[in-house]
Amino acid sequence: MLQIESLSLSYRDTRVIDDLDLSIKRGESLAIVGPSGAGKSTLLSYLYQQLKQDAALCSQSQGLVDGLSVFHNVYMGALARHSAVYNLLNLAWPMAGRRQEVELLCRELYLDAPLHKPVSSLSGGQRQRVALARALYQEKTTFIGDESFSALDPVMAQRLLSLVKARHETVIMVLHDSELALSHFDRIIGLSDGKLVLDKPASLLDGEQLACFFDTQMATS
Amino acid sequence: MFNFVGPWQRLTLGLWLLVGISLLFVDIDIISLDPWGELLRMGQGLLTPDFFATESLANALWQTVSFALLGVTFGLLLGSPLALVYRSPWVAASCAMVRGIHEIFWALLFLQVFGLSPVTGVLAIALPYGATFARVFHDILQQAPSSTKETLPIGCDRLSAYFYGKLGHVLPLMLAYVRYRFECALRSSAVLGFIGMPTLGFYLETAFRQGKYHEGAALLILFVVLIGTIPLWSRRRLLPLYLLAALFTLPKLTGVDLQLVWQFLTFDILPPGIREVIHGQQGLEQGLTRFASWWQRLTLEQALPGAAASLVLAVSALGLTHLLALLGHRFASMHSRGKFSMPLGQLLLLIMRSMPEYILAFIFMMLCGPSMLPAILALGLHNGALIAYLLTRQDSLVRPSEQYQRRGDHYGFEVLPRIYPNLMSLLFYRFEVILRETAIFGVLGVMTLGFYVDSAFSEIRYNNAFYLLIVTALLNVLVDSLARRMLAKRLNQGMAVGQVSCVV
Repeated sequence: MLQIESLSLSYRDTRVIDDLDLSIKRGESLAIVGPSGAGKSTLLSYLYQQLKQDAALCSQSQGLVDGLSVFHNVYMGALARHSAVYNLLNLAWPMAGRRQEVELLCRELYLDAPLHKPVSSLSGGQRQRVALARALYQEKTTFIGDESFSALDPVMAQRLLSLVKARHETVIMVLHDSELALSHFDRIIGLSDGKLVLDKPASLLDGEQLACFFDTQMATS
Repeated sequence: MFNFVGPWQRLTLGLWLLVGISLLFVDIDIISLDPWGELLRMGQGLLTPDFFATESLANALWQTVSFALLGVTFGLLLGSPLALVYRSPWVAASCAMVRGIHEIFWALLFLQVFGLSPVTGVLAIALPYGATFARVFHDILQQAPSSTKETLPIGCDRLSAYFYGKLGHVLPLMLAYVRYRFECALRSSAVLGFIGMPTLGFYLETAFRQGKYHEGAALLILFVVLIGTIPLWSRRRLLPLYLLAALFTLPKLTGVDLQLVWQFLTFDILPPGIREVIHGQQGLEQGLTRFASWWQRLTLEQALPGAAASLVLAVSALGLTHLLALLGHRFASMHSRGKFSMPLGQLLLLIMRSMPEYILAFIFMMLCGPSMLPAILALGLHNGALIAYLLTRQDSLVRPSEQYQRRGDHYGFEVLPRIYPNLMSLLFYRFEVILRETAIFGVLGVMTLGFYVDSAFSEIRYNNAFYLLIVTALLNVLVDSLARRMLAKRLNQGMAVGQVSCVV
């Protein structure tokens, strides 16, 4: 699906990604791990730019519009599917059919906030799920996520990850949780200082081998 | 289903309900005989401006700047200390009253006392501006976080604590506000020319009234350029120099006849009946009866109809302002359209916001005659452009998502909801300004409160004028506090309304 050879990326004159080779196959689930500042988010947004046509991005910054309701924030995932007039109509007066779709999606994400509630009044975990719902509502074949579950408890994170995987052919995700990476992903790649230092099937790895890729474990060791 | 109609939607619907009601009463006939021919001649003038027609062009511009500069300086001297004691309801109330009366009326009032002296013009700006500074500085100071003050060492003296813990936080905000007000003062100063000050308005009125549109257009263009280039010529280091120059080049001060002032204060502005009682010419009972009948007639025949007309005009203009602000931001924002429409939109906004409402209305009135239409157009265009401009300055804070496209529907979902609270708070703050301005259109012949004030001045009935001015100020205070209360419910606590967000 995507073949990258000796990729280098810079951010404000600092090299963030250095001479990186990577190939991603359709149908794969790929976890990206690495300590802060390793270049994960930069790589992820590069991947999104490449796969834009069939990929939905759930970024760390979420991009929620505080003044709009849960419904509108989720519906924004479908802006490209509908005509401008229809979108504006939905902004002023949400259509029954779309509301049902969004409501169903929210229920699947265990998001129990009323659809008309402005997202400014939601909790951190609820906001994260609204952002996730928006990405899912795009209905693309590839999901690209940047720590999409960081504000959720582990059980909830596992449930939602299963849902994301069920709905997408390919899943690429930056993770901060080695257990989740090991148990739910086919393949794990590790970044350190912008270089690719690990690229193995998850079945060949264990928690100790991954330890150096997570800030928390680094601090305690 | 109605759950989705949130507080901002309700506020918008309420606003337009009010606008609809006032549109039922509004008078927008075109009375002029040949509006298109006049427009054509003005257009020709605008295309071929004559920069050498008025020999005193440079002088007119400089006097405009110098009145504004001196007005703001004295306003600051007055307003800054008042800001520290603004918590007192008496100070706040008197500031509100002083603010509620427009510069032009202050000028008309001072004109009776000081004559056509520069003191009249400078005071007319300094007084209402000082009252505004007091309020806004007070609001800004309140916004300063208290966390710094809490971490200062024990035993720190109050003055240092004030400067480090409070002023340090908000000084950039206050300076930005002063800059913004200086721009406003330039407009006020230009408009004071219409009542005889030697500023731009004086030459503009002469040129337009005589149909010399080439000359008028040159003046207008120079004025827009003057405002557009403020950041270039108004350097902080040059300000003392400008101030000195302004003081030295003021037109000659005329001597003040103190006896005249005394008579003005103790006799002319007192209501009939009361003044006879005070001066012992009439008995108390007789005097009171006379006063009551004067008050009743003036209230029923002038104050109430004038106030109603002012409100109808202001609310209609508010509707137009709302529309134009939305349209203007949509057109000039960096989040909409391509590379070319943005600078073009910004230029249009600059032109529209540089023009004082009064001058716009004056021009429209030459075109379509003295109905409310010129006033509504002028208020809507100026304020709509100003709000749109202030909103575009916050554009860089709005970060749309990766999927964002420069289309109307995307704009509606991602940009509009983020700027809308700010748009509404600016709009409601401007409502006070709009209402204040409606009064001065009376000078141009629209039957608002200002019309009756102006007539009272020209009939030398100073007591009538004084009473009507108080009514004008009260109406402003009332409407402003209502608007603020409506908005405060919808904004987070601690977020200051409107005025402050115009400068951030």
